[in-house]
Amino acid sequence: MVQTAFLVLIFSFSGHAQEKTLSVISNVKGAPDEMTNAELKSILKGEKQRWSNSVPVVIALMKSTTDAGRGISKKIFEMDVDEFNKYWLALVFQGKAKAPYFFHSASELETFVTETPGAIGVIETPPSAKIRQISIDGKKSF
Amino acid sequence: MLSCNFFIHTAKAQQTQIRGFVDVDAAFADNKTSFSFGEQDLFITSDVSDRISFLGETVFKYSASSPTLFDVSMERVVIKINFTGNHNLLIGKHHTPVNYWNDTYHHGRVFFPTIYRPLLFSENIIPLHTTGISFSGHDLGKLKFGYDFMLGNGIGSGDVTDNDKFKSFTASVHFKPMKNLRIGGSFYNDIISKGSRKPHSNELLAQEIKQQLITGSVSFFNRKFEFLCEGTYAMNKSDSTGSASDLALYSYAGYRMFNRLVPYVRFDYLNYEANEIYYYNDNTKAFVGGIRYEINYLAVIKIEYQYTKYEKMAHSNTVSAQFAIGF
Repeated sequence: MVQTAFLVLIFSFSGHAQEKTLSVISNVKGAPDEMTNAELKSILKGEKQRWSNSVPVVIALMKSTTDAGRGISKKIFEMDVDEFNKYWLALVFQGKAKAPYFFHSASELETFVTETPGAIGVIETPPSAKIRQISIDGKKSF
Repeated sequence: MLSCNFFIHTAKAQQTQIRGFVDVDAAFADNKTSFSFGEQDLFITSDVSDRISFLGETVFKYSASSPTLFDVSMERVVIKINFTGNHNLLIGKHHTPVNYWNDTYHHGRVFFPTIYRPLLFSENIIPLHTTGISFSGHDLGKLKFGYDFMLGNGIGSGDVTDNDKFKSFTASVHFKPMKNLRIGGSFYNDIISKGSRKPHSNELLAQEIKQQLITGSVSFFNRKFEFLCEGTYAMNKSDSTGSASDLALYSYAGYRMFNRLVPYVRFDYLNYEANEIYYYNDNTKAFVGGIRYEINYLAVIKIEYQYTKYEKMAHSNTVSAQFAIGF
């Protein structure tokens, strides 16, 4: 009995601590093939309006009400959901950046990124084979 | 066929959003409690094309001088043209980019760290709005350098016509040397014509004023600590009274506890030279202490006490509460 309780405790802690791996996807036009983690954070925080080839940056993210959205805001932005939403509301209100596009599902996000020049997005699930994936610090997922 | 394609492209590119802010308030002063509501602020953003966007901010507020007791005020009407990278041309009515508060919080009370704006703003030390044209850049290089250079109608002008031949000029720069820290400075130059209305008064200027403002700001906001300090050194020069130098500054500090609760303090300081004729010449100090509770990013409750010490008027003590929301 004690052993079972101990195992449940161990698994619950390890499940809680486990962060899912993320993949960065992009349209064929716009983003470079690879970038650093710092560059990715800067782009997803609205600090870059255009890619070096002049295509406008379009940010696609999972809704903060989804598990994926919560995980992404914590892992990439190092913010909880409220901080993340406040950050973007303030930025748009100041006229300093265009609001990201938000999606309920990874498949919707993938479709949007595939169809929108300059789009870049982050998903938790492994992306479909057809979509372009960006390497972050040399890794396809992190 | 060509025009068809143009319209299809435009429709696909356009994304329009309407958001807003509103606040309800209560204040205890002079042995009575008054309930009120503040401004209802609507802002619209729209992407017209991949290079052109629009931002509008319209405020509905109480006005004792209006026949309906309400005014509609166009606070910002900005068409932004992104001409390359992070460099933009902005045309329209702006909040003058002279310092952090004016260019960051605008009319969104839910973002304000305190209930009311610092005295530097409420006493109109800086020109809150400018209608004109500006070049603006942001997040350039490793220091995330930003700039604003603006030419505008200047103080005394309306939104649709300049009252004189002079243009105001604003040059503002900032950089972010480390995460959460922003340091900025600006210079403002204007000639305020004879006959322009003085701030906080129906009195008209009897003579021309040459105004120069130098402003500095430091802000640091992270998950625990909040710090904001801004100061403006104003020089108003007239032919008859000579040059008057004034100093207006405030410092704000807050500390986040239990994730959502932020006790805070603010100190305001206004000091005018004796021969100042443009501002309302009453040296003032204010102390503000309060608590902010953030229910979520769209709902914030603040309760604060403010003691204001004037040189010429009676001191005041006010306890205020505000419930600010975004929608």
